[in-house]
Amino acid sequence: MQNNIAKFRKEAGLSQQELADAINVSRKTISTVETNRFTPSVIIALKIARHFNTSVESLFEIEDHD
Amino acid sequence: MKQQDIKTEEKFMSHNAWFSIFMGITLLIISGYPIIGNTSAPLLILGSTAFLGSFLMFVIRGGFTWRMKYHLTYKDEYLNTIDTIAYKHVVLALLFSMGTVYLFSEGLTLHISHSMMATFYLAIMCLVYGISIFWQSRD
Repeated sequence: MQNNIAKFRKEAGLSQQELADAINVSRKTISTVETNRFTPSVIIALKIARHFNTSVESLFEIEDHD
Repeated sequence: MKQQDIKTEEKFMSHNAWFSIFMGITLLIISGYPIIGNTSAPLLILGSTAFLGSFLMFVIRGGFTWRMKYHLTYKDEYLNTIDTIAYKHVVLALLFSMGTVYLFSEGLTLHISHSMMATFYLAIMCLVYGISIFWQSRD
């Protein structure tokens, strides 16, 4: 699964820590989700999407082998 | 959950990992020293002191109070996940080390006591837990 969180975050001018603070998770959660090492729960995915005022589908892209 | 709580959990996990590695090395020395020195008395005293020292440091820096309030799991999703995976690594490492000891036990039985083996297994568990947490926490 690919995601565009880093792109959205940089466009918003936020650091990983600032995004983590905004949605109440650890910075490592953001870091590892961005690098595709950790797949977040629906709750976190929805929180991130809501923070960027977008949909979950625009943040995450499912691939054929997923 | 407050952001401050998450930062405390992150810090606590990092201290916990350092504590595990330190403890693992101490236990490894304690379990291996009697083979070289033919006595475990001096190092057992040193080991016990190191254990108590690191335990106190862990208690103080981990944010425990005298009530020893303990959270069973981490509330942050990622920290909780890496903690669970670290325990899986511990079980795997324990199985591998026990299997290895089983395979090579014939040559060791005369020199190594049960307490040394128990300490060795504990050392492996502590080391693997600490290393696993740090490995999973990398950016």
